[in-house]
Amino acid sequence: MLRDELIPSDELRRIDESVRTNWPTGSAIEFEEAIEFHESLPPESAFATVLESADRPLLQPRAGVPLLEDQIELLQHLHASGGADLLPTTIDSYTRDNEYEKAAEGLAEARETGEATLNGFPAVNHGVEGCRELIRAIDAPVEVRHGTPDARLLAAITFAGGFQSFEGGPISYNIPYTKEHDLAETIEHWQFVDRLAGAYTERGVRINREPFGPLTGTLVPPAIAIAVMLLEGQLAATQGVRSLTLGYGQVGNLVQDVAALRSLRSLGEEYLPDEVTVTTVFHEWMGGFPPDEARANGVIGLGGATAAIARPDKVITKSPQEFQGVPTKEANAAGLRTTRQLIDMMIEQDVRLDGVERERELIEAATRDLIEAVEAAGDGDVAQGTITAFESGALDVPFAPSDSAQGAVLPARDDDGRVRIFEFGDLAVSDEIKEIHRNRLDARAETEGRDQSFRMVADDVDAISDGRLIGRPTEGD
Amino acid sequence: MPKTVILGVIGSDAHVVGITILEQALQAAGFDVVNLGVQSSQAEFVEAARREDASAVLVSSLYGHAEQDCQGFHEKIAEADLDVLTYIGGNLAVGQDDFEQTRRRFRELGFDRVFDSETDPEEAIAALRRDLQIAPTEPETVPVRG
Repeated sequence: MLRDELIPSDELRRIDESVRTNWPTGSAIEFEEAIEFHESLPPESAFATVLESADRPLLQPRAGVPLLEDQIELLQHLHASGGADLLPTTIDSYTRDNEYEKAAEGLAEARETGEATLNGFPAVNHGVEGCRELIRAIDAPVEVRHGTPDARLLAAITFAGGFQSFEGGPISYNIPYTKEHDLAETIEHWQFVDRLAGAYTERGVRINREPFGPLTGTLVPPAIAIAVMLLEGQLAATQGVRSLTLGYGQVGNLVQDVAALRSLRSLGEEYLPDEVTVTTVFHEWMGGFPPDEARANGVIGLGGATAAIARPDKVITKSPQEFQGVPTKEANAAGLRTTRQLIDMMIEQDVRLDGVERERELIEAATRDLIEAVEAAGDGDVAQGTITAFESGALDVPFAPSDSAQGAVLPARDDDGRVRIFEFGDLAVSDEIKEIHRNRLDARAETEGRDQSFRMVADDVDAISDGRLIGRPTEGD
Repeated sequence: MPKTVILGVIGSDAHVVGITILEQALQAAGFDVVNLGVQSSQAEFVEAARREDASAVLVSSLYGHAEQDCQGFHEKIAEADLDVLTYIGGNLAVGQDDFEQTRRRFRELGFDRVFDSETDPEEAIAALRRDLQIAPTEPETVPVRG
């Protein structure tokens, strides 16, 4: 039975060998030689050290194109013209589905036609040497960002290829991303990824791991996001990960976002073992963007202002072209600069917000309820507890497409634009917390002269792209 | 008796928000809803429609590959000898096509109604009520269609 226990070394070797034979480029992986490669890199490439020693929020965009030389050029542009402190390499969708054959075809077509036939960088197909060429060409730390439920080969190749940070986790890259991937199997696959990161860590190459905080990116109540971060953090720490960056996606209410980021950090430090260095990452708004670059810049600006007050260790920026999909490199760099401008203007101001402490108490009480429910469900084992709690709905994510989750929870904003829970399903939070959420939503319903209903949920999902925060009824409704 | 409606996102698409909202809206409007969820195949839609003796099949797609995903769908429905309404809605074409053109294309594929991504649930529900001849206030007194 799956347990939250360290994978023994002989088992690690066995899985590692079977994973490496999945695809021809896997055979180029050699652990000792990979350690030497990491040791040969300059200090500015050391992801964990750069992030953990920063004295202001570091900025990182999203970016990935199929060809190696284009990816290098793109990252150099974002570094030089956008002022990105940390760089990404976003992986294409075929690789995320372990369809390396299709990724190979897309890559060949991209080479032939010069078109972006893949929506990211197929790192498995580029192989260890391709990854190293990228890492050597960029004088900043680079993270692998993806969305892969079974990322074992991707991790083995990119770690050997010199990447020192890896996004994702068994819950955050399963529940929001796929329908049929079994949660227990995904946890097992990520135990291997984390164990491999742990093996590098033991040898002095600290691989930074970053659970994906925004989850479904659609009005996720902070307590749910934070609970998932703590669980994935615990699972990773068991396998020897020592640098963990916990994530949270902007909901757009300043007080709630600041409170959530502070809770994320303090609960992370409390729940994760002392030997783990906990950092936090704030994702600028992940929901629908306004179809207008000027208004999109407003959304990005609010993200920057929030970061200046809450001071996460890292901010993942958005571009003003978010509405249209993949942005040009210029627009991507612009999103970085807009964010930097807001942070640098505001970070030395002493801004006090009313209500942050009260909101923190609410978030932390609900998060503790959820974690306790998971621990109880697994009889003290986090891996078992996570599976059982998602099955029963004790832990749940709004709009989760996965069959492993109930997906019964529905969020809605309250009269102040904070994300509350409208439908709890079987979510394991106390009656007292449910009552508070209900009262807040009642207050909104009263203001709007309508009953609480799914209609509010639907209106809230569209509100920011429509130019507002709260999905109030408009004339004619 | 309440009418049964099959709901799902077709193909490899994982966009779940729209059908979640639609499911809630349809239930509130008195329909029996079978939500197949995301990443559902044509065969799953047809099988569910047959099993549930459904009155309508509502297909959602947001990632731009709807046309490929729906090729042959209505032939399968005909083979199974089902008498169901079929609606499709979402971002049905990659890029910025003229929606009237998109609507025509999907009508030709066999869909009874085609909706864009800005459609409110109420609009689809009103269309269902018209097409199934359901009076909004008294769903139980409705004559059986066909």
